[in-house]
Formats: sequence, C-alpha cells, structure tokens
Amino acid sequence: MSLAADIGPMGKVIKYAPNERRDWNAFLGMVIFLGSWIMLFGGIFLTYGALRARAEIWPPLDMPPLPLDFPAMNTLVIVLSSASLQIGLNGVKAGKTHLLQWGLPVTTVLGTLFIVLQSVVWFDLWQEGLQFTSGPYASVFYAITTFHAAHVLIGLGALLWLSIQSWRGMYTPARYLSIRLWAMYWHFVGIIWGFIFLTVYVL
Amino acid sequence: MVELQPIHEVPESFIKRWIFSGDHKVIAKQFLWAGLLFLAFGGTLAMMIRWQWAYPGEKVPVLGDLFLSAQGGVVTPSTYATLFTTHGLIMVFWAITPLLIGAFGNLVIPLMIGARDMAFPWLNMASFWVFFLSQLMVIASFLVELGGAAAGWTTYPPLSTNVGTPGYGQSIMVAALFVTGIATIMGALNYITTIIRFRAPGMTYMRMPLTIWAMFLTSILNALFVPVLGSAGLLLLFDRTFGTSFFIAGAAGVQGQGDPIVFQHLFWIFGHPEVYILILPAWGIVGDLVSFFTRKPHYWYKGSVFAMIAVTVVSAVVYGHHMYVTGMNPLLSHTFMLLTLIISIPAEVLFLNWLHTMWKGSMQLTTPMLFALGTIFVFGLGGLTGIVLGTISTDIYLHDTMWVVGHFHFTMASASFLAIFAGTYFWFPKMYGRMMDEKLGRLHFAFSLIFITLLFGGQLAAGYGGHQRRLFDPYQYTFLEHLLPLNRAVSHAAFALAFGQIFFVINFFKSLVSGKEAGDNPWNVGTLEWTISSPPPMHNFDVIPTVRRGPHEFANPDVKEALGRDFLYQDEEMPENVEEPQGALAQLA
Amino acid sequence: MSGLRHIKKWIATVPVLLWSSSSFAAVQGEAGIGFPRDVSVDGERIDWLLNVTNGFALLLFIIMCVWMAICILKHNKNHTPDYDYGTSKHSVYTAITVSVLIFFVVDGNLFYNSVIDVNEIFWNYKAAETEDTVRIEVNARQWAWSIRYPGPDNMFNTKDDIVTLNDMRVPVNKPISLQLGAVDVIHSFFLPNLRIKNDAVPGMINKLWFQAKETGEFDIACTQHCGTYHYKMKGKLTILEQADYDAWYKEAQINSERDYDDTDAQAHWGWKWREM
Repeated sequence: MSLAADIGPMGKVIKYAPNERRDWNAFLGMVIFLGSWIMLFGGIFLTYGALRARAEIWPPLDMPPLPLDFPAMNTLVIVLSSASLQIGLNGVKAGKTHLLQWGLPVTTVLGTLFIVLQSVVWFDLWQEGLQFTSGPYASVFYAITTFHAAHVLIGLGALLWLSIQSWRGMYTPARYLSIRLWAMYWHFVGIIWGFIFLTVYVL
Repeated sequence: MVELQPIHEVPESFIKRWIFSGDHKVIAKQFLWAGLLFLAFGGTLAMMIRWQWAYPGEKVPVLGDLFLSAQGGVVTPSTYATLFTTHGLIMVFWAITPLLIGAFGNLVIPLMIGARDMAFPWLNMASFWVFFLSQLMVIASFLVELGGAAAGWTTYPPLSTNVGTPGYGQSIMVAALFVTGIATIMGALNYITTIIRFRAPGMTYMRMPLTIWAMFLTSILNALFVPVLGSAGLLLLFDRTFGTSFFIAGAAGVQGQGDPIVFQHLFWIFGHPEVYILILPAWGIVGDLVSFFTRKPHYWYKGSVFAMIAVTVVSAVVYGHHMYVTGMNPLLSHTFMLLTLIISIPAEVLFLNWLHTMWKGSMQLTTPMLFALGTIFVFGLGGLTGIVLGTISTDIYLHDTMWVVGHFHFTMASASFLAIFAGTYFWFPKMYGRMMDEKLGRLHFAFSLIFITLLFGGQLAAGYGGHQRRLFDPYQYTFLEHLLPLNRAVSHAAFALAFGQIFFVINFFKSLVSGKEAGDNPWNVGTLEWTISSPPPMHNFDVIPTVRRGPHEFANPDVKEALGRDFLYQDEEMPENVEEPQGALAQLA
Repeated sequence: MSGLRHIKKWIATVPVLLWSSSSFAAVQGEAGIGFPRDVSVDGERIDWLLNVTNGFALLLFIIMCVWMAICILKHNKNHTPDYDYGTSKHSVYTAITVSVLIFFVVDGNLFYNSVIDVNEIFWNYKAAETEDTVRIEVNARQWAWSIRYPGPDNMFNTKDDIVTLNDMRVPVNKPISLQLGAVDVIHSFFLPNLRIKNDAVPGMINKLWFQAKETGEFDIACTQHCGTYHYKMKGKLTILEQADYDAWYKEAQINSERDYDDTDAQAHWGWKWREM
C-alpha cells in the first residue's frame, strides 16, 4: 500500500480500515450515484418520449433521417471498449497486471474512436441542415447525444489518468478500487448508449 | 456488519481544520451558517413582497433605499416577479435544504449512529463547496443585465425560456439549481452509505433515532428525484442557450412543436417528493424531541417508522395533483387524486403517535420542545388545509390561489423552519458546547408561532376569496379590492414575524460567546451524541459504542430506582436486577 | 406596409379598451372574507364540499389542540410519565382504526363527491354540448384575452366571427362552452364567481364550461404567472338576459364583419372546434 493513501482529508491515518470493507462502501456509493444518474437520463428520455408521442410524423419530412451505419459501428466500439476494460479489471484482480496495463489504453483508444465517429455523424447532419434550432426532433437528437458524449469525455479523461497510473504500477490485486469504480461508470455510459442507439437511432 | 473506523489526527493548519475540512461537524456548521444567511436573504425578499401587497406602489422603507435605490425605492412589476421567484427558490433550495439536511444531517448522522465520520469525508466537503458555489451563482443572478430570474419558483416554460425571460439571471438561476442539485446528490449518497454501513454494533435499523430514519428516507428521495429536476433544468438550459425547442410550443392549437407540459411533469416528479424531502427530517426531529421532552418512550415507534416509509414510497406517485388544471388526462387525474388522499393515512398515524407520546407524559417546556410543539401545530394546520387541494373539483377553484400559498407555507415552510429552530436550540450545545438562552428562545418562539399562524392563516383566508398567487397589484381586480385591509393586516403580521427573528439572532451570537457551559448531556437524553463531550472531539467516539436498546428509553421505574435518573443511554448496560423491559424488547426485531 | 397594418390594429383596439376600462367600475365588488358571490348553477357543489371538508379539518385541528393543551397543562413536568411504548395490540389497533376512520369519513366524502362533481359536471364537456350551447374560443396572450364567437356559420376563424378583447358576454342560464389556447406562455383562465378554471397552454386546446344563473358583470382572472404584467391580465365577463345578449350579438357581428381585414394575419387565429 502506498504512502499517499495514508493521508486522508482529515490528516494522517492512524488505524486502517480493512481494504475490502472500504471498497464495499465505495461500491455502494457508486451504485447510489449511478441510480441517481439513471433518473437523470430517465427524465431526458421521458421528455423524448413525450415529444415523440405528440409529433405526427417522426422524423419530420423536411429533416434528414438519422443514419444507422456509424451509430451501429459505435455500438460495437463501445461494447468492445467495455469488454477490454472488464478484461483489464479481471486481470488486475487475478494479479495479471499487464492485462490492465494494456486494457486501459485500448479502452481509451476505443472511447476516442467513439467520439470521432459520433462527431462525423454530427458533422454530416449539421451539413444536411439538422441544427439545434430545427425543432424538437433536432433538439432531442443533439441534447441526448451531446450529453452522453460529455459523459464519455469525462470517462476518457479518467481512463487516460488510470492508464498512466497503471504503468506507474499503482494497481495491485489488493488495490484496484478506482479501476473498479470507473469500470462501473464506463459500463453505465455504455448501457446508456445502448438505449440511445435503440430509441433515438433505430426506432 | 460494522466497520473498523480509523481515528484521524487533527490537522494542524487552520484551513484544513475549519475551512476545507472533512470533519462532518465542521461541514454541518458551514451549512448552518450558509443556510441561516440565505434564510435572512429570502426573508428580506418576502418582506418586500408583503410591503407591495399592503401598500402597493409606495416606497419600501429601509429596504427600498438599500436594494431598490435605482428605481426610487419602489417595487416595480418586474422587480416584483424577481422577488417572488427568488424568494421561493432561495427558501427551498438554499435555506431549508442546507439547514435541515445539510446542517442537521451532517451533524447528527455520525453522532447518532455511533460513527467517527461520514463514509466519504472528501465528498462531504465537496458537497458543501459545490453548494457554496451555487449560492454565489444565486447572488450573481441578481447582478446581471436584464434582471434576475422571474419565471416563478416553478420555472414553468415557455415563460422560463427566452420567450418570457430573456435575462441572463434566469439562466444563471437554472444553472445554480443544477449545481445545488449535484451538491444535494453528493450529500444524499454519503448519508445513505453512512447509515447503511457505519452504524455502531447493535444499532439495528429499529433502534435508530427517528431523526436518522427521516434523514435516511429523505436522502433516498433526494438521490432519486433531484436528478429528475436536473434533467428538466438541463433541457431548459439547452432551450435557453442553444435554441432547442423542448418546451417551446407554437401558437394556439399548433401541434408538433415542443411540449411545455412535459417540464411540469418532470418538475413535479421531483417537486412532490421534494416537499417530503423538506418535511421528513422535521417529522423525525419532532418525533424524537416529543419523546425526549415528555420523558416518555415514543409511542409505537415502529408505527412512526413505517408511516414515514409509507409516505416516502407514496410521495413518488402523487405528483399529478399539481397539474389538475393543465388539461391532463382525466383518468390519470383521478388516479393521482386517490393516491394523494391515501397519503393522509400514514400522516394521521404519525400525528396520533406524537399525540399519544405526549399523553400522560411529563412535559418539559424547554425551547426545543416548544418549537417541536409549534411544528406539530403548524403542520396540523397545513396538512388539514391541504386535503382540499388533493381532489379535483375543489382544486379547480383553489388552484394557484393564496390558499395554496398559505397551505405550503404552513407545511413545508413553517413546519420545516420551526423544526430547524427546534433542532438548533436542541443541538446547539452539542455543536458549540454552550446552551442557548431559554428566555430569548421563548420570546422567539412566541413571536414565531403567533405571527406564522396569523400570516399564513391570512393567506388561506385570501385564497378562499379567490385571490390568485403572484399578483403585483391584486387590487386591479374588482373581486379582490375588499381584501386590501386583510392583506395589510397580514403584512403587518409578516413584519412582526421578521422582527421576532431578531431574538434568535441575538440569542445565537450571545450564546456562542457567553452561553452557559452545556456539559455532556444538558437535556438528559440517551441517544449516542449525548454520551460524548460537547463539542465532541474530531473522531467523536474514543471507543465505538455498542448499542443495546432504542433511542427512547425513558420513565422506567426500575431504572429510576437503580440509577436515580429516568433515562438510559442507548449503549448503557442495564443496571443489575433490572430486566430489559418488554416494550424495548419488542423493538429488537 | 406591415407597420401600417399594426397601426390600424392598434387604433381599432383603442375604443374597445377605453370602453371596457370605463365600464369596469360596474363590475360587482365583494365584501367580507369567504367565497366571491356564486353566480353559477353548479358552483355551490364546490362551495359545499370545501366548507364541509374544511369543517371536518377544523374539528380535527381543534381536537388536536385540546389534546395538546391537556398534555401541556395536566401532564406537565410534575406528572409522573407512564412507562408505555404503545406497542400493545390494543394501542396499535386503536391508532390504525382511528386513522382509517378519519380517512374514510373526511377523505372518503371528499373523494366521492369530487368524482361525481367532476365526472357529471365540471369535466363533463359532452353534457355541455346542447342545442343552445354558446361556443367561444379564448386565445390568451401576454397580457390579454382574445375572445372569438363563431358567428352565424358556426365556424371559427371565418369572416363572420365576432372578435373581442377582454370582453366576454354570455347569456344567462345557457351552457357556455369554452376552448382555451395560448400564443406565448401558459396562462390560466379563472372565473372566480363561477368557480371554474383551466390552463391555456401553448400548443394545446383545453376546455371549460359553465352555466350562469344570474346576470351581472364579473372579473375574468389569470391565475398562472405569465410574466411581468400578469396582474393586469384581467378580462370582463358580462352575463346578460337572452334578449340583451341576442341584441348585442347581432350588433357585434355586424361590426366585426365590417371591420374584418383579411391582410391582418395576426388577427386570424381560431381553430376547428374540438368535439368531445
């Protein structure tokens, strides 16, 4: 255990809590946080549902329909990135730290790829005349996808930092809490994308 | 079950100990100060509103020169809109929430469950500073061009979009709501984790003080429903800044655009639980105090707990009664009407339990108890006047009238604030090691209770006459002209109420400096926070206590004979030859 | 060109405004505390239900206060407290029984009557549609009520419509059916003397109906905060004898048709009547 962990927000730690128990607290906290965030996205999806229900034609006739090809690829990308992160997490649990050291950068690259592909979709649609101000259809599309992408970006920042830390040898089978928490976050963001893909792009 | 919690060394630097501190007691005090300041702020705004109703168009004395000098000291229609909008928002999100949940939640949760600190001290600290940032944003919203927020505290679009309020103030206010929501969620997940994981050995769920139960349920509601407000605020911000059209609809009868009613759904999905978020901790505090100061065990403790759980669950599915006149589907309205009325059953159970606890007790009329009784009194008034707002036909007439205003000021404003004062008088000794002055406290109580009743009772009366909310000059309407004398009298009650709060301010500062030394347990109460010194050391408990019974073990004659006092600490072993009583045993399950 | 049109429109509204503001003094005032005078056929149902329920509430509140007073005076600090956890079967059953009893009496009465009132009267728009029903469309904007009668062809948004501003006239003892829309923000149409209210929401058409039993002049109020001048969003409801109404209707119809301007796009609101 590194020395840095001995300094808490309230000064030097004199007695340690057993690691697993502290991890369990953090796990519980993360579950509650993600529960909250499900409600946040739930509110946005509810708005989408209501707008869609009152629209007669969706998408409106003068608006470009949403593409399926790139988003489908993106779904694959995000599934792969979740998988690679999970492999890394399982690796560090089992003591195979190299799996983590490669899993994290691979996830980061895949996450970046996701953003790139999503940007292409945005760019194309913007060119075709679908802009923020083009009515509820465009509002729903841009609000949901950009808000989700913001979550991906936050995840990417964390993954980058975790990658660096992993190459510095900060994670061991006894100490990988932050990996575990960020993996939960990343899977959550992936699942949200699944919903977006199904409800916004496919339906 | 229980954690091995570390004892931390006390940080030496002032900043780490008192400003950016992870110590839950310091954070509680920070919330207390921040909340009290904004309470004064929100109250000042209310005074200007009341002045306008009493003396429409006349120059506001004192406050006019201070805040409205640019417009000659009078309240203009647009200032008025900002006044009532920000009064509501500030009181709900920046006064009651930090005081009741931020201050008392932080203070009592670890102390009452026997923990050394919150589960995530860092997060706790961040929660306060994020909250503080949102307060700064609120202040900033007054100072920008085109004026502050003015769409009402409910922020209904399209009025709250650029269509109705083009000023930056509205945008900043909506953003501040989002930010304070994040702070609330941080706090909530901290509280939930702490209560689940950090209870001392033997502190089963059915031995927790009612305050802790209330904080627990409130936090669950917070964690689940504040994000819904977040989503509504976020989409509203998109509408305001990027020109999207979630909530902006076209002209009459034109379909296919955005839907302003969806915002109302989102707002009230959050908003109805929110009123219980603000009242549950008050119920918890009252439930405990009534038992403590009648020196009698809480009557049917389990019933009170289950009633609070029932309210928590049902509160999530009744929000539609805020929207009876929006053209909502009648079938949906009827469902909401039935669910709304059902919530009165657990509320009645709670009331009966409080009243039964008092019955044949030994009432000690200390200041905290007075305020607890006052809470029951005003909540009774507020609750009973709310029944007619739950059913459609009566709500059609009363919707958006002063009746509604009077009702929710009795329940979520007065009841919450009286409980906040009860809690402040009660835990002040634990926070600062000194007692508050009883005489000033009683004076404060008398002023508060009398004038709250007159003030909000007068609003109910105006509402019966059909007086709508949020009117800059109600006397434009012929059918309201005769209400000027009533409104004027009610305004004077409001000014007297504000004047009465001065006693609290004096008391607070005086006691801080020269209050009587409190000692460990000034109230002779058995919950865990009174087993340690006042104020407690940073790690609270030298040894984590082992809890043996519920929080309300009073009036046991055998204990009195053996120990010479009428209560037992929660972690105290039974004196020899005294059997653990049946009532207490019943709570073990 | 467009500026000219606006000037014309404003000039047209001046006499209307002048006339209506001068006659506001005739609107009936109120006195004392309590409901405004009820001039509707069915409003007494709401008044009765409110009074009964609040009577119950007052009774419960008084019982609570007496109970607390006894505790404070009699079971004071000199009283030896009972050692009672209130967990006996007897105590629990009492608490539950009392709660449920109160619920069934107070809330039950309220619920039952409210359901009947709402379904049979206040939201029963089908019953409001009779041979004699007067149909009116109301379009709310910041900060005025535009009111439209269909005219002889019984169609809205046609040349023969009667259009007024803040001035609604209806015959007594006839069902009046209203449909509400809004242009900019949410407003709420409230007739205090007739005990009815409904929101006017942009993008939606809401309904409302009433039947007056007395003639007179009354306020139309806005109950939803709709911006800075919300308090000025006042209209006037004039309830007339059938003959007076018919006379006014005839004259107003002729005037409206004469003043019809088919270049004024803004004045051409109105929607197809939404049938139930």
